[in-house]
Amino acid sequence: MSIHEMTAFEIRKGIVKKQFSARDVVTAFFDRIYEKEPLVDGFLTLCREEALAKARQIGEKIKAGEPAGKLAGVPVAVKDNICTDGIRTTCASRMLHDFIPPYDATVVKRLKEADAVIIGKTNMDEFAMGSSTENSAFKKTKNPWNRERVPGGSSGGSAAVVSAGMAALALGSDTGGSIRQPAAFCGVVGLKPTYGLVSRFGLIAFGSSLDQIGPLAKNIKDSALALETIQGRDKYDSTSVRHSITKDYMSTIECGVKGMKIGVPVEFFDSGLDEEIALSIKACIRKFKEIGAFVEDISLPVIEEGLSAYYIISSAEASSNLGRFDGLRYGYRTKNYNSLDQLVERSRSGGFGEEVKRRIMLGTFALSSGYYDAYYGRAQKLRTAIKEQFIKAFESYDILLSPVSPVLPFKIGEKAADPLEMYLSDIYTVNINLAGLPALSMPCGISRTGLPIGLQIIGPHFGEEKLFKAAYALEQELKLTVMHPML
Amino acid sequence: MKISVEDVRYIAKLAKLSISFEQAQKMVKEFEGILTHFESICRLDLADVQPEPLERNSGTVLRKDEISVFEDKKKLFRNAKSISNSYIKVPKIIE
Repeated sequence: MSIHEMTAFEIRKGIVKKQFSARDVVTAFFDRIYEKEPLVDGFLTLCREEALAKARQIGEKIKAGEPAGKLAGVPVAVKDNICTDGIRTTCASRMLHDFIPPYDATVVKRLKEADAVIIGKTNMDEFAMGSSTENSAFKKTKNPWNRERVPGGSSGGSAAVVSAGMAALALGSDTGGSIRQPAAFCGVVGLKPTYGLVSRFGLIAFGSSLDQIGPLAKNIKDSALALETIQGRDKYDSTSVRHSITKDYMSTIECGVKGMKIGVPVEFFDSGLDEEIALSIKACIRKFKEIGAFVEDISLPVIEEGLSAYYIISSAEASSNLGRFDGLRYGYRTKNYNSLDQLVERSRSGGFGEEVKRRIMLGTFALSSGYYDAYYGRAQKLRTAIKEQFIKAFESYDILLSPVSPVLPFKIGEKAADPLEMYLSDIYTVNINLAGLPALSMPCGISRTGLPIGLQIIGPHFGEEKLFKAAYALEQELKLTVMHPML
Repeated sequence: MKISVEDVRYIAKLAKLSISFEQAQKMVKEFEGILTHFESICRLDLADVQPEPLERNSGTVLRKDEISVFEDKKKLFRNAKSISNSYIKVPKIIE
């Protein structure tokens, strides 16, 4: 097996057992990147020199007999809205095209402490607003399974580079499905952790009450390993978890699902769902029953209205968060102005792309006098109702199953002209963010046309352990452990 | 929901964005579609539901106001367009 095909676990094991060095790993991945990146366009910045320096450091550690970190030598790609000290972080926006952060996000710091190797920054929808990565100001990432199709979004670059074997792991961010949907489109495992489990310090904010960083991985164990590394309290994020959390997912991951109670919300299987995706999810349900789980249908109404609540709340938060980009202290600045207002307006208008401006304006509208109660106020109430509905469901069930996306990966340009149609494709993921729950997207089949299909497993707050147990059991049954696209 | 070009341009002004008349016209159509969809939340009876308070379970969110030195000041100012001593120079906008 080539090094670039290995999982994070296998890479670390090989390095610790001295079967190959961290330098061999970095070299193998960059060889792969130079060969395949022109076909995929998943990266915005590559950090070969920094990666080789880190590999040298790991090599010295191993040589000296010091304990190697949890992710020793594992090449990790980081979404370009997560700050990396000294490495350009653009949010795929003209606004931040030359922005170099003076510090590492907490998740990046934790990866480095675990001896992971940061190899590059990945493409995304501008400021994480989108479901196809077509809203990047710099390039369009292609789906490695079919390069005429989108990789999903907004963490499309992260999903595509893991799928194409150009990184062993990646970080993404998920505000309404931005880790899970691209994971489903590219045939990898994507986890959106419980709100507060992973620090957001250093994540350039979109919707602060919804955003959460999570891993994109080749299989379930790698996903759990990555979460163990990045999770936990951080004094720089006041919303990060204060109570004790599960620190070790590995000791229970192989326990199986015997006796586990699984709910399947019927509203997630309405007429808008692609037939092949529905069949694939139903096959998973049968598998779960065969291996000892108890599965039954449940009802979770207001799922459809949740989409509207999500777009109102996330746009409102975005309009506030993106207010900081004014062209004064950093970021894009227009050359053509005669007053302060003109300087700010023209810098913002020139720096932001079309979708970002649309969301800022939708959010400004929802918060404006005369509309606040009807839109933002009602959306916040609906958010409470949705959260309570999920909490009630988890009194009776351990996990819930659903599709990730109602559609298979669509063609580049297919939905670009109609923003509402693009928003509607997030119907199965946004409610999970509104409720702050954890959810995992895993490959569960391949369509007749050769495109990956994803299954979403939703858990109770801080119930990641249950997600990994169920997902691992299904992964073993499906024998799709690592799906490789032909590139 | 019906909105006008003037509505869109007013919102743009609030959001500190400048948009052309043609862009505003395009946005009117898009916004009408999106806002009509958003009205789906009006069908629900939410009279007895409380809005979600973000900090319900998190207690105080303030940390101690402690001074710590950021060693590499050069790094901090790297993204500023222009620097004078340890100040960020901004363009002159008042005559």
